[in-house]
Amino acid sequence: MTLLVLPLVLALISFIIPEKFVRYFGLAGALGSLAVALGHLSYFNPENYVSLFAPNRDFPLGLSFKMGYDGLSLTMVLLVNAIVAIILLANYGKELAQNKTFTALVFFMQMGLLGVFLAQDGILFYIFWEVTLIPIFLILYWFGQQNNNPVLLKFFIYTLLGSLGMLLSFIYLGSTYQSFAYDNLAVAGSFLGAKVACWIACGFLLAFAIKIPLFPFHTWQPATYTSAPMAGTMLLSALMLKMALYGMIKWMIPLTSSGIDEIKWIVITLGSIGIVYGAIIAIKQKDIKTLFAYASISHVGLIAAGIILFTQTSLVSAIVQIINHSIVAVGLFFAADIIESRTGTRNIYELGGIAKLAPRFGFWFAAMTFVSVSVPFTAGFIGEFLLIKELFVAHWITGLIASTTLVFGAVYMLRAYQVSMFGAPKMTSFEDLKWNEILVFALLTVAAILIGISPKCIMDFVKPSFEHINELMVGGFNFIK
Amino acid sequence: MDALIVIFITGLVGLFVGMMKKPVLTLSISALGLVTAFILTLFSRSYVSIFSKYNGLSTSPLTDAFSLLAIGLTLLIVLGGFSYFKKDKEHTADYYGLMLFSLCGALILISFNNFFMFFLGLEIMSIPVYVLVGIKKSNVLSSEASIKYFFTGSFATGILLFGIALIYGATGTFDLATINSIRAIAEPSPMFHIGVLFMLAAFLFKVGAVPFHFWSPDVYQGSSDSVMAYMATVVKLAALCAFVKLFTYTFNQDEKIYTSVLLIVIVGSLFFGYLSALKQSNFKRMLAYSGISNTGLAMLTILTGDFGSLWVFLIGYTAATVTLMTLSQAIDKIDSEDIVNWKGIGYKNPFIGVVILISFLSLAGIPPLTGFFGKFLILSNAYQNHLALVILGLISSVIGASLYLRFIVLAFAKDSNAEKIVLTPLQHVVLSIGTLVVILGSSILIF
Repeated sequence: MTLLVLPLVLALISFIIPEKFVRYFGLAGALGSLAVALGHLSYFNPENYVSLFAPNRDFPLGLSFKMGYDGLSLTMVLLVNAIVAIILLANYGKELAQNKTFTALVFFMQMGLLGVFLAQDGILFYIFWEVTLIPIFLILYWFGQQNNNPVLLKFFIYTLLGSLGMLLSFIYLGSTYQSFAYDNLAVAGSFLGAKVACWIACGFLLAFAIKIPLFPFHTWQPATYTSAPMAGTMLLSALMLKMALYGMIKWMIPLTSSGIDEIKWIVITLGSIGIVYGAIIAIKQKDIKTLFAYASISHVGLIAAGIILFTQTSLVSAIVQIINHSIVAVGLFFAADIIESRTGTRNIYELGGIAKLAPRFGFWFAAMTFVSVSVPFTAGFIGEFLLIKELFVAHWITGLIASTTLVFGAVYMLRAYQVSMFGAPKMTSFEDLKWNEILVFALLTVAAILIGISPKCIMDFVKPSFEHINELMVGGFNFIK
Repeated sequence: MDALIVIFITGLVGLFVGMMKKPVLTLSISALGLVTAFILTLFSRSYVSIFSKYNGLSTSPLTDAFSLLAIGLTLLIVLGGFSYFKKDKEHTADYYGLMLFSLCGALILISFNNFFMFFLGLEIMSIPVYVLVGIKKSNVLSSEASIKYFFTGSFATGILLFGIALIYGATGTFDLATINSIRAIAEPSPMFHIGVLFMLAAFLFKVGAVPFHFWSPDVYQGSSDSVMAYMATVVKLAALCAFVKLFTYTFNQDEKIYTSVLLIVIVGSLFFGYLSALKQSNFKRMLAYSGISNTGLAMLTILTGDFGSLWVFLIGYTAATVTLMTLSQAIDKIDSEDIVNWKGIGYKNPFIGVVILISFLSLAGIPPLTGFFGKFLILSNAYQNHLALVILGLISSVIGASLYLRFIVLAFAKDSNAEKIVLTPLQHVVLSIGTLVVILGSSILIF
């Protein structure tokens, strides 16, 4: 339980400590919660399910309050804690790092995210899912660009509308056994007819498609990313949309397995459209932050299409790609923020020659660019390659469309890098990276390369969870042992 | 029963003490009486009352729960409104006395057993409120509100009486249980059904549902903040409780007569309220219109006959409303209740900010606040039989969320010259209790 309660305690403490310590406290707290997660990892056997909280009685409403993790959940938990620590490290040099409210909100957000990944109860999952909306909304509102109210309202209402579809699905599934515990929901789901299951899957999909975001539901995303403060963008893209991808794997597909075939090709089509559409818009973008936002749509379209195939390979490679996307998102938005805060502009045509003025930044931004275009020996290479392979197996057309992401990715990323970093310098000075900034880039790059060289450790770690989920779907209800 | 007597006596004593023109004394007596009544209700099952049982009123754990809520809310309103009431030294006692008498009516309305007590309860509850609305004699809006409320209210009462008379004509009794058993034996005459529909109309008027809602924004706007809080919470709560009770236990065999009517009313209320509220610039009118939608959702429980979820929903809704109205007293200017007054308030005053945030998020139905659990319970119980209604309810609550969110955005605007708001200690207490109830109200589900 420490895992979940610690961020909440940290959030409360950040309100009371003096302002000059907030910076150190935030970083230390994030590292502390990462250490707790690593402690859990050291005792963990991927074959097992670990229960964190399992009260022995029924509560009104059918709430069971069950929490726990398997390999998949623990991977996400580690990802959350690691990324939050990196976000606070990236934020370390900024004025915002001294803000009590900001630090508290980040920890509150972390608590919500951990809750989403640990919940083994439908309503609990829904509650944490919604809880994350409040801190991110406040972070965007208080610390984002001025006058971003319409953007924020769109973001909030859009995601709220989506999650109500999910709530409806949960209510339907839960009403069968008057219980929302994961195993009971799975049993209830396995008896559904294909038509009903399809409708329920659509309810889930509404929530997840908006959050991921899949192609026609993405309109909130670029403006929100662009108007958010750096840490907010990172939280949104690196962690928050992973809730939706995780939700697809853990909740949507196992609970509505008989209806998935009906919507499978819809999701694959939308994902494929997103891959091409996001990439083409990214190619034409001038604003570097918006460019990365569209690039993100392109990347997650591929992951979503891979997940809905639901084969062992597509799932493990989707996990690798999820981790890779978090790394890339944090790195790229960090680079965008460094450029914006030092030059005052995000328009790449007003930039140029930065690599000459700030060679260290030039190097590390290049490293992140290569990670993003998935050169071999980086995590993205393995993930994208396997996902595209699986999509080829499903149908050669989708495989073909998906593989364009490699080409397009190289086009928009290298163009963005080239235009902004090379050529004649258009500004007189550009302060080079500080220690914490180098550390962030180095950590991200090293992580991407390590995963790229040995993706097997992650794949083996999450594979047993997927085997359990598969057993669950073919009728063995022993997922939660 | 004991609580009822205690409250009535407190009201009387308060009126006499009021002649000394010492607001603090009046307040302490009223508060003491309410606390005593609260405790008596809380432990009413563990001691033997000195009063003999009266057949017209019956209590159960459920009615006790509603009574506790009504008494607690009145206590909060009485405490929170003190800084306003004491300005008007001449009438402080009138405010408190009338509110306590009205509360007596509400308590009767929660635990009535036959149409005599029902009618008495409704009138005892309503008549003091007519006076309370118009108590700001020099204020034109207040007088207008009072006259409007009185005329429309009396008219609704007339229709209600007519309905009761028709039902009496069809069954020959006022007793609810007897009516139900007579109804079970034989198919009643059309007179009975017309009576049921008449009662329904009167009820819809009392709770302010579409299409009987026109009085509520005007009356809310005209009355003082505390009186509005009282009308929007205690009066609504008691009327809804009586409403659900009557239609689930007495008229439950005539579902097909009123279900279609109710469906239209509920859908109309859900959407009309929020959509109109989006356009309001007056804080009280906004709350009044959004209250119409909340009532619409609460009326879903009539179709499912589910008291428990109504209670949880009402905890969230009423606690947030009382909290916001208490705040509104401190924030609204004398001559203006425009929502612009709230601009930046939450950012300048962190405590008020948290209160605003929690109250509105709860109204918007964001978990894990009580408002979410109320909505969730109501919708999940209505799920089996009224799926379309549940989906419409969810859509309307998204509209509601956008309304409340816009308000949060306004209250937390950074770039404004909002002033620092000074709250009295009593207001601090009321706001803290209200917010705590909104946060922790759902935990009663666990214990």
